[in-house]
Amino acid sequence: MKEIEFTVNDPNGIHARPAGILVKALKVFNSKVTIYKGDKNADMKKLLALMGLGVKQGDSIKIQIEGDDEEACAAELEKALNDNF
Amino acid sequence: MALDYRKCAQEIVDHIGGRDNVAQAAHCATRLRLVIKDNSKVDKEYLDNVEGVKGMFESNGQLQLIIGTGTVNKVYDEFLSITGMTAATKDDVKAAAAAKQPLWKQLLKPIGDVFVPILPAIVASGLMMGLVEALGKIPGLNFAGTDWYAFLDMVANTAFAYLPVIVAISAARVFGGNIFLGAVIGLLMIHSALTNGWNAAAGYEVWYLFGHIRITESYSLFQINQLGYQGHVIPVIIAVLLMSNVEKWFHKHVPEMLDLFVTPLCTVLITALVTFTIIGPIFSGLETMVLNGAQILVKNPLGAMVMGAIYPVTVVMGLHHMYNVIEAGMLSSVGLNTWMPIASAANFAQFGACLAVGLKSQSNKTKVIAVPSALSAALGITEPAIFGVNLRFYKPFVAGMVGGAIGSIFGAITGIGATAYGVTGIPGYLTINNAGVYTVLLLVSGGIAFAGTWTFWKEEVKKPVNKPADEAAAETGKFEQKPVITCEAGTILAPVKGNVIPQDKIPDETFASGVLGAGVGIEPEDETIYAPFDGEVSSVAESKHAIGLSGPGDMEVLIHVGVDTVAMNGEGFEPLVEDGEKVKMGQPILKFSKAAIKAADHPDVVVVILTNSDDYNEVSV
Repeated sequence: MKEIEFTVNDPNGIHARPAGILVKALKVFNSKVTIYKGDKNADMKKLLALMGLGVKQGDSIKIQIEGDDEEACAAELEKALNDNF
Repeated sequence: MALDYRKCAQEIVDHIGGRDNVAQAAHCATRLRLVIKDNSKVDKEYLDNVEGVKGMFESNGQLQLIIGTGTVNKVYDEFLSITGMTAATKDDVKAAAAAKQPLWKQLLKPIGDVFVPILPAIVASGLMMGLVEALGKIPGLNFAGTDWYAFLDMVANTAFAYLPVIVAISAARVFGGNIFLGAVIGLLMIHSALTNGWNAAAGYEVWYLFGHIRITESYSLFQINQLGYQGHVIPVIIAVLLMSNVEKWFHKHVPEMLDLFVTPLCTVLITALVTFTIIGPIFSGLETMVLNGAQILVKNPLGAMVMGAIYPVTVVMGLHHMYNVIEAGMLSSVGLNTWMPIASAANFAQFGACLAVGLKSQSNKTKVIAVPSALSAALGITEPAIFGVNLRFYKPFVAGMVGGAIGSIFGAITGIGATAYGVTGIPGYLTINNAGVYTVLLLVSGGIAFAGTWTFWKEEVKKPVNKPADEAAAETGKFEQKPVITCEAGTILAPVKGNVIPQDKIPDETFASGVLGAGVGIEPEDETIYAPFDGEVSSVAESKHAIGLSGPGDMEVLIHVGVDTVAMNGEGFEPLVEDGEKVKMGQPILKFSKAAIKAADHPDVVVVILTNSDDYNEVSV
């Protein structure tokens, strides 16, 4: 299992459109990706669930990736996060 | 423990400064929305802790208390009963909007509101009455003497014979009174102990409650004419309006324990007294004047023209009961009923006007009312057309008056007449002495009214009025939702009115590229988003500009209002639903302000994306 911790810098947070970019990036992997914000969590491959978390600028998030392609997935995700948020 | 709705409502009332501090109360799916007069009287801290109130905030000049789905309406009902405010929220809001209209329009509005719901009853009766009466007048058939005729005649005229009851019930609903008390008032006004209104000309008895204190020659103080209100509309509406207000007053001032004893009793008694001692005499006085005036008017063609014009007005006022006296008088003195062509011209003109509305209107709701009402009017029964259609839109009514006037003067000049009385319009052919001229008369009056309506009447396009009216707008601004996306799991309907643009024309690269899923853009013409299917709200974006919904077959749909509107931080957006809330197709779920989006310099395209379109094999947009 891989874990990523990340603090959102983007002033708009993970809102609908950028959230979609993340979801899209993750969809190609088999791993299960769960995002945690405080005591809430969501399946990060589901756009609506991700949006529902309402991640804002300055929020710290933790992401757990589990599956046979978790390495590649984590790398891709990290890249997407750094590029977009 | 289940929430004590009454206690909750009572606490709310107590801590917003009481009934007098509330200008308006409405509720949406989750919130109680109050327009408060003086905010300083609101004890916000207390309200926040009232059991049942999950939260509160102020928005758009409204104090909004979050109470929750399924509960808010019950608390709201209690709130109304405690405060004695009127029930119908939409009507309240509409009334507030209507208050800006000229007085005469405001006066017409309740008549329409009362009449539209009862139209099925009177259209059915009207059509049947027209047909049965026409059959009865066919010479040689002798249908009028048969048992069939007697039976059908009874069935046909039921709704008209007891019209005041139907009107009273509907009016009680409109004015927020108890509908059963409304029914009592309606029944009272046509009580079988009273002389039937249609037989007024034959005379009726009078009660003098306080002896003979003469005010005028024919009227004593507290005189009660023992005369029913058959065929009346306006006096019934006035009586029920009075009743509703009396009832509300008592509800407010009588302690709850005594409410059921005192309120209905006093309400009925007071309404009955005022109706019979004041409203009744005024109308029967007017009726006599109209009768006398009409008899003078019909003596020359110009008078006939005036009569043709005001005929429908007298129908509206319920002052047309005694016209058959004129007809009967004409038949016995000169053997020819020249009144009938006037009535026919006036009625057929209302038919023409109503038909024009039916054909011109784009609204299905109006069409389904106007067409059958017009048919009934062609058969001489004009009430559905007048009250249900023409008067509501007023211009058709005026066009009908003009058509009736010109038809009447034509009738008077040509001197045609009928050999009997009781039918007008198309069945009038059975009694008229010159069918050819009569045809011209009908064509002239109906044609002018039709043309006038067609030319001058434009359907009012309802637009959202202003903020407090959002509830009303949500109701009236509805449009026909067309499918925008379909896949094997189901169909997604357009959530907002407007022009649909292809995905690649959406002014945003991410949406346009389809990377988020297949979708479309809609250039909104309206400011309400409706649910595109029956489903559940997955998430409302914190910045309120986007709503995620899951629908049948696990469809996940994102409705995103405007591009880059996240930067507006919710300014100009008002979600009507909450996370996890179940929604029905067509239910309003989000309000937004096009002006605010424009002011923030963002495109206002509403983006509809099936975010999991990859999961489906066939997706067509």
